[in-house]
Amino acid sequence: MLKKPTWKSTLQSLLYLLPALIFIGIFNIYPIFKSLAMSFYEDYNIFTGEVGEYGLANFIKIFNDPSFFTAIRNTFIFVLGVVPISIVLSLLIAIMLNRIEILSSFFRSVYFLPFVTSTVAISIVWNWLYHTRYGLINYFLGFIGIEPIAWLTNPDFALPALIIMSIWKGLGYNIILFLVGLNNIDKTYYQAARIDGARSWQQFVNITVPLLSPYILLVSIIGVINSFKVFTEVYSLFSGRPGPAGSALTMVFYIYEKFYTEYQYGVATAAGIVLFLIILVFTLLQRWISKRFIYN
Amino acid sequence: MSQQQKNKLSNVLIYILLAFGAITMLLPFFWMISTSLKTAGEAVAMPPIWLSSNLQTGNYEEALQAAPFGRYFLNSIIVTAISTSGELLTTILAAFAFARLEFYGKNILFVLLISTMMVPGELLTIPNFVTLSDWGLINTYASLFLPFLASVFSIYILKEAFEAIPDEIYYAAKVDGCSDWRYLWTVMVPLSKSSIVSIAILGIIGSWNSFMWPLIVTTEQTMRTLPVGLQAFTTEAGTQYELLMAASTIVVVPMIIVYIFLQKYIIEGLASGGSKG
Amino acid sequence: MQVTFENVNMAFDKNTVLDNINFNIPENELVTILGPSGCGKSTTLMLISGLIFPSDGKIYFGDKEVTKMDAVDRKVGMVFQNYALYPHLTVSENIQFPLKMEKMKKKERQARALELAKLVKIEDQIDKKPGELSGGQQQRVAIARALAKEPSLLLMDEPLSNLDARLRIEMREEIRRIQQETGVTTVFVTHDQEEALSISDHIMVLNEGYIQQYSTPTDLYNNPENLFVAKFLGNPIINELAIDEALNLSALHIEKQATAKAKTVAIRPENFYEVEDEKEALITGTVRFVEVIGKNVTVHVDTALGDLVATELGFVHEQGDKIMLGVHEEDLLLFDEGGQIIQRGGNHA
Repeated sequence: MLKKPTWKSTLQSLLYLLPALIFIGIFNIYPIFKSLAMSFYEDYNIFTGEVGEYGLANFIKIFNDPSFFTAIRNTFIFVLGVVPISIVLSLLIAIMLNRIEILSSFFRSVYFLPFVTSTVAISIVWNWLYHTRYGLINYFLGFIGIEPIAWLTNPDFALPALIIMSIWKGLGYNIILFLVGLNNIDKTYYQAARIDGARSWQQFVNITVPLLSPYILLVSIIGVINSFKVFTEVYSLFSGRPGPAGSALTMVFYIYEKFYTEYQYGVATAAGIVLFLIILVFTLLQRWISKRFIYN
Repeated sequence: MSQQQKNKLSNVLIYILLAFGAITMLLPFFWMISTSLKTAGEAVAMPPIWLSSNLQTGNYEEALQAAPFGRYFLNSIIVTAISTSGELLTTILAAFAFARLEFYGKNILFVLLISTMMVPGELLTIPNFVTLSDWGLINTYASLFLPFLASVFSIYILKEAFEAIPDEIYYAAKVDGCSDWRYLWTVMVPLSKSSIVSIAILGIIGSWNSFMWPLIVTTEQTMRTLPVGLQAFTTEAGTQYELLMAASTIVVVPMIIVYIFLQKYIIEGLASGGSKG
Repeated sequence: MQVTFENVNMAFDKNTVLDNINFNIPENELVTILGPSGCGKSTTLMLISGLIFPSDGKIYFGDKEVTKMDAVDRKVGMVFQNYALYPHLTVSENIQFPLKMEKMKKKERQARALELAKLVKIEDQIDKKPGELSGGQQQRVAIARALAKEPSLLLMDEPLSNLDARLRIEMREEIRRIQQETGVTTVFVTHDQEEALSISDHIMVLNEGYIQQYSTPTDLYNNPENLFVAKFLGNPIINELAIDEALNLSALHIEKQATAKAKTVAIRPENFYEVEDEKEALITGTVRFVEVIGKNVTVHVDTALGDLVATELGFVHEQGDKIMLGVHEEDLLLFDEGGQIIQRGGNHA
């Protein structure tokens, strides 16, 4: 039973809201419209801020730029490589962690560790692990008879290298979310299922997966959104370059290059808007899937 | 084989798999520290030397001399402290208004704010850079924290937490003579401690590890934050992996120490933050 | 302190919750607002507390009008249904909270908190958090907190409904004791008629936004002004019979003009007695079943006018027995078509 708003209460509320609204207004809302406008700038002078005219030139430019398509292609490969593998692995690990008691929280902390440490530092360490001649990874691969792989200098291996490292880094976060989901499943369901004659595997398929499905969706949405925006990992793993011969050029890296090294603000924002639309479509798609197939 | 034996066997298998995974998780960290304590020759020895017999702590001195990591560290602390505490303050106030106060246009405003979360931050980077360079703030602390002093996501999380506090407590406090302002700070904030800690942890980790934004708005070495400074150091150190690993260790180890002590809060905070988003 | 409502209306959106209410709560009394859920009793309490404001009308504390005054300034004490203790504060800090708001010195308010804890007999739990206490103990803390600033008015919103049956009886006696010790004017809201009857100086029966009757417990029970009050008070529920030929009203000495208007008679279960002569019987029937709970024997009787319940017939009956029931004139309640009382027994209403 709350009071109705009055002008007085509105004014009071505004005082509470003002600090947040100022910063959100300037740095979150205004830039949305500004970047939309910037993407239509033609003939923009970055020093004076003068705009010659508005038009679709920036969009035409990126859609005629082969490296933009490379960036989209690479980003999709990255998302498709990271998200499903990461979900399967983290789900398995979460279920195993949920089964044991001793050392469970120790393992949880260990798996989570990469997530809290600096991406830059992590990527530099992996750069070292991936070293063609002295890297630990090629050393281990040597045991099973695999010739040294030029992970970071062979364009065919740049994306796989990026994907492996990203899975490694993000695994812990997904595990934690799945553990939250597993804890939310009432134990009586399992008791009931056992009385109904369901064995471990049947319990997993008929109880765990369906009851965990909202979390699987959540993890996949978070994973897809974050993976589409991959940048720091690329920058640090390949020492500031988008991989050998641009083989690890991602969309945000493309935006960064257009913006920061080429000063093409209009082109960069146009690419940013394309990224936003792609992410939007994927999020809506995932939500639609969830409405159709997932209990909630 | 009985059910009990089966369970025992599967438990052993689980432990083996988990231990293998844990080693995979920890190996890069071990290798980073191990390399940082080797001589240049040992670092590139094949087969690899797991632990140098003569620990080269000098690598750390050399790394610290080659680049002002102390300054980077200080910059990171200043920026993280200001942006996190600022974000907490604006979040607490705004979440209170949304959760507890009545005002015209409340629902519209809230939906508007929530819808801004759809837009990736990377897209906002460009206009925000333009705004801050128009204000002449590039290469200042202000440019590093100003865009992060308010967060819609945090307001959303805290609003939910505030709304979970029963109305009766609010009524009781009013009858007890407690004003809205005091009620917020003496009752709501302490009662929502866990959510506030989550928001603070998300803010600290985000700010501390933030890379693209500080990379863009800092061109002077003295203004770099740790990740940017470390990245810059890779071009300076080149292929001297023992120095690179020493620098990485300098960046990573303080975070690991904080993590070891606060892991309960960090994990719970990130989990609750994530599962609400 | 007296509380007076003058033509108070309360509407939420388009729902009228209170319709032109007038009443006065006398000083130093315990007054209960009784009614079914949704009758507007909690709204009335909220209006007294200043947590909400009336759509129309005036509210007075003593001679002072407080209609527009906010809860923060009204300085009343209030106990909530779920106690609303601050979960992050200890018992002592909870009791001190209103005093802290008044900026009382720490030493002073600690001493006062202890005093109050003793009054409500919770002094041994003073350093615990509310979560560690039982329901009854939390209730005591809530009362102590409400009394802390020595309010001239104590409001209690269904304070006993979250307690189990035995504790409820214990706590209502405690509330009565504390109220009498402190003499604080108390407004108690409940839907439980037994609670209201046992605890109050006066009871205000509220239904559908109107005051049905405002009187002492005995008067309400014996002289209900309408059928709603008659039926709401008393357990088992009062027997309600339509006036019909099966009802031998000639057995009773009632004025004809009263029975002419009457549509319904109501008789409390304890007022039936058995008669030998059919002429003296108001109604006859068959025992449907006998319910024995400890020393209480309730006889359910099938009659031409439906089921009746009688509680004072003793142990003698068995299922299927024929039974003739009589009643004294003064125990008979007559209601007109609108459910208003016409006459009570032989006396004019």
